[in-house]
Amino acid sequence: MRLNVVLRYVGMVLLFVAAFMLLSAAISYFNGMDSAYYPLLLSSLLTALLGAFPLIFVDKSEQITTKEGYCIVVGSWLVACVVGMFPYLIWGGEFNLINSWFESVSGFTTTGASILNDVEALPRGMQFWRMSSTWIGGIGVVMFALVILPSLGRSKQTLSSVELSSLAKDNYRYRTQMIVQILLVVYVGLTVVATLLLKLAGMDWFDAVAHAMSSCATSGFSTRSASIGYFDSPAIETVLTCTMLIAGIHFGLIYATVTGKRNNVFRSEVTKTYFAIFLAVSLFVAISLRIADTYPSIFASLRYSAFQVASLMSTSGFATANTNLWTPFAIILLMFCSIICACAGSTSGGVKVDRLLFAAKIVRNRVRQQQHPNAVLRIRVDGIMQEDRVLDSVMIFFVIYIIMLFVGTLF
Amino acid sequence: MTGIRKRITVGFMSIAALLFFSGMISFFELSHLSNDTEEILKANSRNIELARKMLDASDEQNRAFMHLAVLGHVQYDSLCRRSMADIEQTLEVARQEAVDRASLDSLGFAVSEMRILTDDFLTFGAGAEQGYVDTEWYDSDFHNCYKNLTLEIRKFMTSTQSSLAPRTEQLKTNAYRSVTPVLISLAVMIAIVLMFYFFITIYGVNPILEMNRSLGNYLAFRTPFVVKGECRDEMEELRDKIETLITNSKQQIKA
Repeated sequence: MRLNVVLRYVGMVLLFVAAFMLLSAAISYFNGMDSAYYPLLLSSLLTALLGAFPLIFVDKSEQITTKEGYCIVVGSWLVACVVGMFPYLIWGGEFNLINSWFESVSGFTTTGASILNDVEALPRGMQFWRMSSTWIGGIGVVMFALVILPSLGRSKQTLSSVELSSLAKDNYRYRTQMIVQILLVVYVGLTVVATLLLKLAGMDWFDAVAHAMSSCATSGFSTRSASIGYFDSPAIETVLTCTMLIAGIHFGLIYATVTGKRNNVFRSEVTKTYFAIFLAVSLFVAISLRIADTYPSIFASLRYSAFQVASLMSTSGFATANTNLWTPFAIILLMFCSIICACAGSTSGGVKVDRLLFAAKIVRNRVRQQQHPNAVLRIRVDGIMQEDRVLDSVMIFFVIYIIMLFVGTLF
Repeated sequence: MTGIRKRITVGFMSIAALLFFSGMISFFELSHLSNDTEEILKANSRNIELARKMLDASDEQNRAFMHLAVLGHVQYDSLCRRSMADIEQTLEVARQEAVDRASLDSLGFAVSEMRILTDDFLTFGAGAEQGYVDTEWYDSDFHNCYKNLTLEIRKFMTSTQSSLAPRTEQLKTNAYRSVTPVLISLAVMIAIVLMFYFFITIYGVNPILEMNRSLGNYLAFRTPFVVKGECRDEMEELRDKIETLITNSKQQIKA
């Protein structure tokens, strides 16, 4: 493995991160040069220097091996998380070493958890950096690296195969170069549209941009300690619910739908299942809440249940209500959503609806096989016959996920 | 970027820039910290100085009233007025300079009380009518007011001392925050120095060692000249030239 090549591409990712730090510093500057300006500017300079250094010695490489690809992806994530904590550490406040690391990792992995007790106390520049880290994390640091890299030929293919799961790649019927462009166009486009809609719904520009970035990355970072509950606006909640749901769909399908291709959102079996789960769970939760008299009307119950279900299914984590006070039935349904989550090829995490659909079809096939032992039964999704290799990997993923859930619960 | 000289120069310049940069940060942060510490110490000594002035002036006031009200020395009325003016003047200075203004409110109230008492005594008081002699007034009214004033001045003097602990604590936190950017710069510099060492090794040192080894083997055992690893820029040219030289030498031997 050539460490120098790995360092070059990790360096390019760092330059990208530094650019966002500089943008955050600019926001800080235009907000009356608040206390975040100096930490962000300093962090940006240090990160840029660290990222640019390997470029002095290493020229661009046409070929990279799979092993190098893995190292670039893993290295980029780790180093981005490390440099991402620089602004927090230098700024101070509630951020000590551990807290800064937590906030940075939470941002880049789009987890959305925060150590902050008072989010509003953060200056705007620092708030923007939080949102930037989660937005970069949403699309995947490496995808950005791929976009900013000049013509790399096969190296793009190697990196994308590491960054994208095999399930996610199914809906991309394009070349790797095209996939990267689609991802970027959909991600940036969705963020811009969400920003405009949130502004129209009543947020100020800064909050609109910040929440659009956070919802498109499905991270759930908010500029308010009370999250979306602070705004108490059905219009804002509706826009965010839609944004979170769309961000949970395969980006290739969104692109295909917008450009009028055949394999679009409305024809996809996975997307149909995703929306069916969302509607069914939202409705059941709303009915449960209404019966328990948690909210005064069925519409109020639907408003809160739809938002929370979308938030958990997309792994965003935005909140408008204290779900601890909800009925056990509603809580169990929400937990189910947080495990299943959204579709492969989106910014969300979890098992993904695709795998749930595959697993359901595998089980149905097994039952049919028992009834008709001699029948040759194949599994099709969106009319495409699935290979046994893919089905095996789905089941392996399920088993590992469940084991990890148990282990995580125990510790 | 091509050329081993250019690469190494830019690499060194980056390290030098970062060194300068972290030096500047250290200087800036330490100056900031030093200013903060100096400010606390200055405020502390200034508070003590002002309190001492006020105590001196109130002692003068006490002495003047003793002469006026107990001994009947009327010429002391000017000293009395001057001392009162000194106390007020010093209080005004303290109000403008003090860090802890809360403690000045009660002191200001005690000074006002003393001013009213002094004016009353010198203008309308029984003292003025009876040639200023009024022992009872001195023992009761004035003594109480004087006691209260000196107590407030002492409180003002110690107020800086008591606010020193939280300010020192704040300074400790600031010191930690001041050191953080320097530590981060140093960490980045260590990473860059390690990378520099790595790149110099793979692009400069390793090819020379490899060429030396291979050339030695060729001269000693006539084994083919093969350089393992990556050669770039002038190293690549050097390798090619050695290969050409060896080929020419072989051709000359054959001829």
